[in-house]
Amino acid sequence: MSKLREAIISNCEKNFLLKCLKENTRLDGRSFDEFRNIKIEFGKDYGCCCVYLGETKVLAQVTGEIQIPKSSRPSEGILNINVELNPIAAPNFDPSSKNDLFTQLNRTLEKCIKDSKAIDLESLCIKMSEKVWALRVDVNVLNHMGNILDCASIAALTALCHYRRPDVTCDGEVSIIHRFDQRDPIPIVVHHYPVCITYSIFERGQFILADPTLLEEGVADSFLNVSMNAYKELCGLHLGGKAELDIDVMIKITQKVGKRAVIVVEQIKRALELENSRRSKKESIGFHNLVSNSNEIDDNFERCFDSWRITPYKKKHSSNNYDSPQLGIQENKSDKMEQRGMGSAVLIPQGFEEVNKDWGGNSEDDDADVVEIPREIPSVSLVDSDSEEETTIVLNAKEQTKKKWKK
Amino acid sequence: MIESSITTNRMDTSNIFEKELDLRCQFNILTRPNGSVIYCEGETTVIAGIYGPVNCKMSKMLSDKAYIEMNYRPKAGVPSVQDRFYEDIIKNTCETALAGALYPRASVIITVQEMHDDGQLISCAINAACLACLDSGIDMRFIFASISCFLTKDGNLHLETPNSKNDIQAVFVFVFDSVKGDVIVSHTEGVYSIDNYKQGLKISREGSKQVFKFMEQEMARRMKQENTS
Repeated sequence: MSKLREAIISNCEKNFLLKCLKENTRLDGRSFDEFRNIKIEFGKDYGCCCVYLGETKVLAQVTGEIQIPKSSRPSEGILNINVELNPIAAPNFDPSSKNDLFTQLNRTLEKCIKDSKAIDLESLCIKMSEKVWALRVDVNVLNHMGNILDCASIAALTALCHYRRPDVTCDGEVSIIHRFDQRDPIPIVVHHYPVCITYSIFERGQFILADPTLLEEGVADSFLNVSMNAYKELCGLHLGGKAELDIDVMIKITQKVGKRAVIVVEQIKRALELENSRRSKKESIGFHNLVSNSNEIDDNFERCFDSWRITPYKKKHSSNNYDSPQLGIQENKSDKMEQRGMGSAVLIPQGFEEVNKDWGGNSEDDDADVVEIPREIPSVSLVDSDSEEETTIVLNAKEQTKKKWKK
Repeated sequence: MIESSITTNRMDTSNIFEKELDLRCQFNILTRPNGSVIYCEGETTVIAGIYGPVNCKMSKMLSDKAYIEMNYRPKAGVPSVQDRFYEDIIKNTCETALAGALYPRASVIITVQEMHDDGQLISCAINAACLACLDSGIDMRFIFASISCFLTKDGNLHLETPNSKNDIQAVFVFVFDSVKGDVIVSHTEGVYSIDNYKQGLKISREGSKQVFKFMEQEMARRMKQENTS
């Protein structure tokens, strides 16, 4: 069933992409070893960040609670990483059913961050075999445009570095959790910064593309996820798909990953530094700051709705005059915008008043904010000989040509 | 006692209307969904996205209208009972507002993702769902606007989250439709009197006009951008 909702890749697309690769180009104009831009934004809560990798977007949040440790490791805290394939990211993602992609992402990320011992779990212990901090990293995929894993690994790592846990003091049997205003929160100890980097492999290793997009992921024979930290130490390796790979290709990719990992980690550290300095200056932080709130509309309201509705649909595709400001002004001359009650407006073309009366009465007792625009406009303006619409000119031209024919 | 509290309320309402709500939104922030929006009320932020109409599961298919798959995702952890409850509120609202009968045997996927909660989460999520629907251009019977009204312990009503959250005694959430301004959803939390509720409804109705106006402006700007680009 969910297959139907997937973005299907046609043979045309596939062949075109492969043809482009043979000519050393990618569809988005990147070179083979080029990555998409990384952008990191932070939320107001500690441990909350939003990471963009090109158009792929991921939201990560770290939460902590106090739990009983595992009996096998009584002095270690607990770290859980959970990637959620949010149905906002793609229509075929279903939160209730766990598919292969879900399992693979979770396991690879766990290998990258947890199994590489990047986080110091011993420091999360409050009391041996009784109380430890259990951290949970929730990674929500918001927009799937290929290469979720790289994006998710950056987000998870950044969120962990950004997270602050409340201070806990032990007083004999009683342990007190201090609020943030009582004692400064404590950051988590991060030993090293491992990130996942993905390469797609085409035509048995003939073409190797860094940071594949959704289409490239679909066409590729196989993919290689390499987790590496800034010291170029390998933390994980996952080869999926069905390509035969030479050892030297593998080594070549790993060397490339090393260079890239340094850049990515540098970028993460810079973003965190910037964020910390903003927090210490007590600037307003949070996602709401990233959305502009200019209340005035750049151009006046009427013009906007005029050009939206009056222009006949045919013109939208055929003529370039559509965008020209001259046309808009001409339309404004012939038409009127009239306010009817609170928050509603009527667009009246010349010689149109009589038709309006029928439905105009309704809007007075409404709080309606829908701007209702009579549907008859195009036909009326066609009949109206005074109108300066282009279509009428065309009609006249036809008549003229007809007259010419008669002559 | 009740008398005095009402008079203080009335005094307070005049202040409320002068204050403009801090609303922000940005359309088309995600490339995959058919319609998407990031919407903020004060500091509360959510992202909403809509796909549809798309192919429907056989088990969920409705022969007379579209099935609405509503997903409300909390920022952290698995969705709790509370989140399911919010999901249901938004779903019911969208079901009444969307012209589902136009798409029988299909489904519409609406997802709301919490980004930051500062108290107005439900109203923010509902408004975001409406804006996402508008952005996608799916057929609707009417648009809807939601507003949260906070009753503090001193008996005052606020349309914005009070600074100290411990003072909140009750929260009213109302959703109004755009055609007649009727209430479609009423959700309350906490302890309050009938008078408080009526007063809250009155203030919320006034406040909702601001939200409708905001939606209209934002849509106008979006149309403008679409035409010029």
